[in-house]
Amino acid sequence: MDQIFQSLAQFWEYTGFANAAWQNIAMIAIGIVFITLAIVKEWEPMLLVPIGFGMIIGNIPMFPGLNISVYEDGSVLNILYQGVRQGWYPPLIFLGIGAMTDFSALISQPRLILIGAAAQMGIFGAYLLALAFGFAPNEAGAIGIIGGADGPTAIFLSSKLAPDLMGAIAVSAYSYMALVPVIQKPLMRMLTTEKERLIRMPKPRAVSQREKIIFPIVGFLITAFIVPSGLPLLGMLFFGNLLKESGVTRRLAETARGPLIDVVTTLIGLTVGASTQADKFLTGKSLLIFGLGLLSFVIATCSGVLFVKLMNLFIRNPERKINPLIGNAGVSAVPDSARVSEVAGREYDPDNHLLMHAMGPNVAGVIGSAVAAGILLSFLG
Amino acid sequence: MKAKHFLPLILLAAWSLPARSQNVRDLIISEVLAEPDSCGIVDGYGRRCGWIELFNTSQGTVNFGGCYLTDDRTDLRKSIIPKGDLRTKLGPRQTALIFAGGNGADGTFYAGFTLSPGETVYLVSNDGRTVIDSLQIPAGMPKGMSLGKEAHDLRQREFVPNDAPGTPTPGSPNGRQDAESKAQVMAVKDPHGLILALVSVSVVFSALAILWALFILLFRIVEGRKDSRPAPGEAAVAPTPGKEADGDVYAAIAAALDLYLSDTVHDAEPFVITLRPKASSWNDKRQNFRKLPK
Repeated sequence: MDQIFQSLAQFWEYTGFANAAWQNIAMIAIGIVFITLAIVKEWEPMLLVPIGFGMIIGNIPMFPGLNISVYEDGSVLNILYQGVRQGWYPPLIFLGIGAMTDFSALISQPRLILIGAAAQMGIFGAYLLALAFGFAPNEAGAIGIIGGADGPTAIFLSSKLAPDLMGAIAVSAYSYMALVPVIQKPLMRMLTTEKERLIRMPKPRAVSQREKIIFPIVGFLITAFIVPSGLPLLGMLFFGNLLKESGVTRRLAETARGPLIDVVTTLIGLTVGASTQADKFLTGKSLLIFGLGLLSFVIATCSGVLFVKLMNLFIRNPERKINPLIGNAGVSAVPDSARVSEVAGREYDPDNHLLMHAMGPNVAGVIGSAVAAGILLSFLG
Repeated sequence: MKAKHFLPLILLAAWSLPARSQNVRDLIISEVLAEPDSCGIVDGYGRRCGWIELFNTSQGTVNFGGCYLTDDRTDLRKSIIPKGDLRTKLGPRQTALIFAGGNGADGTFYAGFTLSPGETVYLVSNDGRTVIDSLQIPAGMPKGMSLGKEAHDLRQREFVPNDAPGTPTPGSPNGRQDAESKAQVMAVKDPHGLILALVSVSVVFSALAILWALFILLFRIVEGRKDSRPAPGEAAVAPTPGKEADGDVYAAIAAALDLYLSDTVHDAEPFVITLRPKASSWNDKRQNFRKLPK
């Protein structure tokens, strides 16, 4: 009989109940909140469901040494997590993004590319703030990239510069990407006048297939020569786009933007979520990172909108003026921030469709954030 | 489009070609000690002898099994490093130590010759002909001192021999090993981050501005026209083959997408499909009855 009780007691030691701490429960609750937001509010469900469930998986209290945790070498989760840790998943996601992105809006109005550059101010603003809060330069760089509003780029850069902060940075980046409509709209309203919001932009010109094919090649050569450290992201982005636009690799493009990106998104979300184990995640630094992440989004949005206003000062032809409501779209949360522009524009003029105009800075923002990541890696890596 | 229009692209591509592959050519003789003193490193047999240190300058693993070491320019295959030993795989920026004890049969990391001041050591590729690297031992090098090579470029790919012999550092990369990381350097040089922020913003703007300018230029060359805006009255709706639709079409698509995504037009569908049977000669017996003569 004693033997049975001893066995049961030993088994109890292995259960989650015996090893539970309040931090684990808190993280599980956060995971459930993420899943709820994704399902009920439909905020970035493709990301928040895997991340939320990953948080629950990663925070099930367990007896150490069973080789099942994401941080235990050789466990299944650990092997899948290597894609995040070593930075394999983000370039694959960029391949898919490239294969699904239509750069026509940017090609037809190349001047909008500068808005994508202006919105990267969020990255460097957050970098300065993070330094002021006492983070080391490499940590500050990794935190700053949250302002790029690009989950894969944030994971890629933080895996290189500050692996210990990657969980908090990734969750922060994806959370604020989901909250883009909530964050950006009030700022856009605050920074623009009624008259500016009613600006109607000229029709984008027709874009030939030849231009669309040349764009990824030229775009890659220029950006990669300037910032070679951004090669994994830029190379995959433009390669994916060439697959799409070449017209002769339809099957490859469909795989890249379909099954491949779905598989990688699932794995990256799940493993990033699982990496947020309470003992590593619930720290004062994480809270600070969340705060700085929010500020970086605010700075990025404001920079984009204000830069458009600045551009308008130099545009003499009133028909060529740019509606500042597309300035927020320089934040590269594709296509959410462009959709915010469309919705905000139609609130003031139901016939003023800004979506296609906003897609220009939006995809420029993707390129800009990859370039910014490359620069930070060059200086701090 | 004429072929000369591709010239800038071809030149750019050609410029990028000299990138080096990761192979035995990335190895260097990084340090040599000719005559040990009484307190130097000992080999696996407990002997003190001269040694040759190899260093992998690349960022990839290099297998130097099958390469040769020699101190005789006329006999490049004097001492082979055995193939098939996993230990000859040298990781990125790592070193390997070969003892010059005079008997190559002592093991994988033993050369079949001894070293003395004044001679030159050669590392030869596994083809037995190509000299990858060499290092001349100064004639008057004192016992217990070694001659090493250190990187003299930012990328740490080009190494040159030191001016004078120094204290041996067998098995560890030469130069300062306590060098600060880039982040640590930035923390000192740019504590508030302003310089990095300014430079980075400038680079991002420059990169995208160059892309903008070059693309406009390329577009003009490729399309052979200067004003790309649609002419007044140009057909906006009907897309011509090979061309994108015009803004009105995009606006219509955008509006439709927005309405669809905001769930304001669609009714709740029952998702039930009702198939009403239709009589045919396959299933309606009445149609298959023999028609009786009237």
